[in-house]
Amino acid sequence: MGQSATIVDTAETVTERSPIVMRSRFAEDVVRFLLTACGVFVVLTTVTMIGFLAHAGLRGMGAVGIWPLLTGRVWKPEADSYGGLALIIGTFASASGALVIGAVPAVLAAVWLTEFAPPSIKVVERRILEVASAIPSVVYGWLALVYLVPIVFAVAHAVRGSDAPVTGEGLASAAVLLGVMVAPTVLLLSLDSLSRVPRALRDASAALGASPWQTAFRVSVPYAWRGLLIAVFFGFARAAGETMAVQMVIGGARRLPRDFLFSPTTTISAQIVMDMQEARPGTPQNDVLFSMALVLLLVSVVVVLVTRLLGRQRLS
Amino acid sequence: MNTATQSNGQGALHRGRRRGSAIESVLLKLLGAGSILFALGYVVCLLYLLIKGASKIASFTTYASPLAGVDNESAMRFVMGVCVFGVLGWLGVAGVRVIVSRFGVWTSAADRVGTIVAVVVALGGAVIARDHLPRFLISLPSETTAGGGIGPEIFNTVYFAVLSTMITLPIGVGAAVYLARFARSPRFVAVVRVALDTLASLPSIVYGLFGFLVFVVEMKMGYSLFAGAVVLALLNLPLVVGIAEESIVAVPRELDEASLALGATPIQTTARVTLPYAWPGILSALVLSIGRVFAESAPLIMTAGTTISRASAYSLNPFRGGETLAVHLWYVNSAGLSPDKVDVSAGTAAMLVVLVALTNLLAARLARLGGAEGTRVRKATR
Repeated sequence: MGQSATIVDTAETVTERSPIVMRSRFAEDVVRFLLTACGVFVVLTTVTMIGFLAHAGLRGMGAVGIWPLLTGRVWKPEADSYGGLALIIGTFASASGALVIGAVPAVLAAVWLTEFAPPSIKVVERRILEVASAIPSVVYGWLALVYLVPIVFAVAHAVRGSDAPVTGEGLASAAVLLGVMVAPTVLLLSLDSLSRVPRALRDASAALGASPWQTAFRVSVPYAWRGLLIAVFFGFARAAGETMAVQMVIGGARRLPRDFLFSPTTTISAQIVMDMQEARPGTPQNDVLFSMALVLLLVSVVVVLVTRLLGRQRLS
Repeated sequence: MNTATQSNGQGALHRGRRRGSAIESVLLKLLGAGSILFALGYVVCLLYLLIKGASKIASFTTYASPLAGVDNESAMRFVMGVCVFGVLGWLGVAGVRVIVSRFGVWTSAADRVGTIVAVVVALGGAVIARDHLPRFLISLPSETTAGGGIGPEIFNTVYFAVLSTMITLPIGVGAAVYLARFARSPRFVAVVRVALDTLASLPSIVYGLFGFLVFVVEMKMGYSLFAGAVVLALLNLPLVVGIAEESIVAVPRELDEASLALGATPIQTTARVTLPYAWPGILSALVLSIGRVFAESAPLIMTAGTTISRASAYSLNPFRGGETLAVHLWYVNSAGLSPDKVDVSAGTAAMLVVLVALTNLLAARLARLGGAEGTRVRKATR
């Protein structure tokens, strides 16, 4: 801040003396105004988006009632019944499953890469995962639809018996897909956080006679745990917000899953995309979708708050 | 002793001292194997996808594919031909270069000849063989019969990237310059940062809802590329502002001060000194955001729709609807009835992966160009 003040002061003295620059003074002001307008635009857009969402969402909550909306079991727009429990459970269960399947191995792999791996392997694996994290989620979704769902179908019948009413589409497939999808991002973020562990700490630990394993898990990981937690939270937020890929493998049934792992259900974002096309704007049918989006928004706000809190504690 | 440790490099100290118990070393091996398998899994998946899609992408025909009779179709074929043969020519020249420079006789004149050859191959190939391009890349999609292509989808995907960059570039760079150089009130800066953080954390479906509500419903525009591009631009704003601001802040203070001391105004300094210096970083941010345009699907389904209309398949009118590759991949599998949808999906997915991987490589290369080595800087300081 102090530095930008210097720029401004110097310029003022210069412009006063030079007639050539004086003439462009007006243009300067215009550009300056436009730059400020860009900043204002960012704020206004954010406020407008949240405002739109909250307006329609709260209207929906008012029409249906918060409690029925969050705990009702039946989501049937055609019968005016909006119980979002299945959607909420679908979102949280699939995202939590993704953490177990994707984020935990990703963090462990990051630990191995920073603490034990030869530098060449570290560089190559990092590059691979950078590409993997940029692959569009629909591509993962399609691969899961074609190759994962049949496998899960076979597993489901092996586990529940061959004539059980189970399918390959459901929370199990969604969790595996989301895990595979978020793992590269989590791993890259974890690598960043682990690479900030000071070298001196590791050396001190080794000098005290700790084995590499002990150094890694009793010194580096505790030092970096806030960053690791942020990475995992970020993965959760991404998994919870994912839409099309999940929609492809979760089966799209608007009810609680009959069999928790292996039968069709739905998530908030998938249901929004599917129902939005039919719901006329202004109707409660449309508004409750915004209410559900508000729930999703709440998740991401909590994640941002937690990340900020963790980030701030680290500095002090 | 001290110097020896340091020269041994990272990890030498504790790797040399104690090995740890037998259980630990077994666990360590397991962890290592798991970690490598983890990365290998992704490699195998992507390679499999590319190989499966490759036959769709690279199926040149001996007969001329008939025109479907859509506006701008032959122009599109020509452009596609230039791209396809340009890549082939460039790859060929690069291959020759690798072989020849091993014998140490590659000169800058040869470089120039190589460029000319690549351009000639691109234009010549496009003129001669534009009707023999892979059918998949130039034909229209089909919902019910086999043999649908992704020509309009490729066009829309690239068009979306152009449209949304046209919005993101001025606003994103403007906001970044403002935050890095011109903001005076710390309180307002804090507000802008919170806004950017919030935007960055919103799930993309929320952007989709917003765009749907504002453009499709309130402004009664129907599904349009314009609405989709605006939504994608908003989605990319936090990313672009963040990286652009970082690279502007990284510009050495002395450069700015020297420019001001020479009598330039702050705006002149920003436009002629700061921005050219920070340009590679800003470009890499834009390229990354283009990668996200390619990848995004949910907000586009809600703002730009899922259909390709025959009449306006290659139209430049931004107020028509249209799907991108990512949306097509979803649509073919959830609503499509064509019997070859697995093949079409594989081709689409491979095309998408190639595009995204290319943009990411480009972004990484641009980011490395940053600072004093940037080409733009060399031009600007000459």
